Amino acid sequence: MRWPGPGVASLERGTPALGRGTPRAISGPGTARGPQQVVITGMSAVSAAGRGLDVVRDSVLSGTPAFSGVARFDTGHCRTSVAAQLPGEPDLAGELTQVIEAAWTGAALGNDVRAGCPLLLALHSSPVAARDPDARQVTGDTAATVAGRCGLRPVPRTYMTACVAASTAVIDAATMIVTGHASRVVVAAGFLVDADSFALFDAGRALAADGQVRPFSAGRQGLLLGDGLAAVVLESGAAAAGRDAPVAAVLAGWGRSGDAYHVCQPRPDGSGLARAVEAALSRARADRAEISYVNANGAGTQYADSSEAAALHTSLGPYAALTPVSSTKSVHGHALEASGLLELVVTVLALQAGRLPVNAGYLAPDKECELDLVLGPGREPRGRYALNLNAAFGGANTALLVEAA
Amino acid sequence: MTTAPASTPAATWPREQPPPAGVVMLARAEWPASPGDVLPPIPGFILSSFSPLVVEVARRCLSLYFGAAPADPARGERTAVVLASSTGDIATAAAIAKAVDEGRRVQPLLFFQSNPNASVGYLTARWGLAGPVVCTVPDGDAMSDARHCASLLIEGGDADAVLIILADQARDPTQNDHGVGLLIGPRSWPAAAGGLDFPPG
Repeated sequence: MRWPGPGVASLERGTPALGRGTPRAISGPGTARGPQQVVITGMSAVSAAGRGLDVVRDSVLSGTPAFSGVARFDTGHCRTSVAAQLPGEPDLAGELTQVIEAAWTGAALGNDVRAGCPLLLALHSSPVAARDPDARQVTGDTAATVAGRCGLRPVPRTYMTACVAASTAVIDAATMIVTGHASRVVVAAGFLVDADSFALFDAGRALAADGQVRPFSAGRQGLLLGDGLAAVVLESGAAAAGRDAPVAAVLAGWGRSGDAYHVCQPRPDGSGLARAVEAALSRARADRAEISYVNANGAGTQYADSSEAAALHTSLGPYAALTPVSSTKSVHGHALEASGLLELVVTVLALQAGRLPVNAGYLAPDKECELDLVLGPGREPRGRYALNLNAAFGGANTALLVEAA
Repeated sequence: MTTAPASTPAATWPREQPPPAGVVMLARAEWPASPGDVLPPIPGFILSSFSPLVVEVARRCLSLYFGAAPADPARGERTAVVLASSTGDIATAAAIAKAVDEGRRVQPLLFFQSNPNASVGYLTARWGLAGPVVCTVPDGDAMSDARHCASLLIEGGDADAVLIILADQARDPTQNDHGVGLLIGPRSWPAAAGGLDFPPG
């Protein structure tokens, strides 16, 4: 035995996939390239707008918010009654299984490699488990169910790092790949708005009473919850090239940091998030002038949005005022633990489409958030990279830097 | 809540399972450490022992290495936290569900403590730990999986040291909660008084 390598993926070391073929020349010099670069070969997403990449992409590019009155459960005891929800009462394990299958199919992978592929999963606590006195974990049995249905390796852990849970799983998966511990990892995440989470955020007065999410805008009143699920297949560049796989995007860099500041509020100066951005740029050896778009965390709360704006000014310097920014939470709502992955997929979709998602709900400028917000449809990205930011309770921050394939 | 647990995960680090190169164990603590051990309450955290458990095992572990809070900035900024709980905060989750089922408003303080990040934010603010934060519910052996996560943080260059916290709540009132705090970091860091290394298995 040995110190257990990340994800026990050492089993995959030296597999033919890692050494086969020549990595596709996905991009030019200047970034961290080579056989261990990380590419996205398959992805899928679900939001309240609907199921599948087309409907999710169209909703954010048009800037059409998906918020409506909650019908899934009673909100009579709450201050607010609005969320972004799919119709009916979807089943989390079933929805997760479908997005993973769609991503797997999109990556053109066969069934023969399923059993060897790690699955990392980010979930919110389960309302079913909370009511089951015999439940072993707050997450219930969703992870085991999904891994079993998909035929992937058993899930080693469920990420519950609040609103950076899914992006943390992506970073762990990428690290497994660049350190040679895995050649391919599936990352999936899901959140469906439920009565417990709604009542909890209502009690915390975190929900926007006016029924709209208005990131970085004057008059913003808070966040709104939204259903969100996503899955991506991450692979080493060598593995993808070796099987001539479709490449949706390159995960060029990533960074993560802690604020060391507060139980639930971010550092007002955004310095923690700024360190995550700088780490992502450094890892990719990318210049901040090359960022064409920032899909911001942008929850729509007063303190968090101004902190994030400060982080962008710190990390991007003079380019902060010149880089288009939006928060797609203004359209699909806050998917909590799943938000980082849903928003990563949305960011890749925008790069592929050559158009930028709209920062919906905007009313007027806020001097604490002086950014180049995307306020209407049709703007085009003009740089090489897009940055996806997430921040969470406890001062946890992540930055994912993606590059169009 | 006074009986020491029968087993103490990660009390030893077997020779055949070494940590990443150059990484040593800097400090280790657990709760309960003795019969009659108590968890100090934390202002603003209610109903559940989960966050007090996390904060107390972290305090005991970090105190062994850094002394009084905060950590020195140079090392604190490069120290990450991995909180791995096989149960999660089941008491808080159950309290929220009970309020919803009874048609009552949820207590606002439960909003802040409903996610494990909150307790980590509490301790990192006091100790000045500014590395990444990772909170998980492991499916198998919690310490083994937490070491996976810590290894990823160190091998990936995201942190030099990692405070690993295991925190499990007992649902059966006759059983104890149990927590372990383990600080691992580079061999080059100054050794603590009576310094630790990975003991042989």
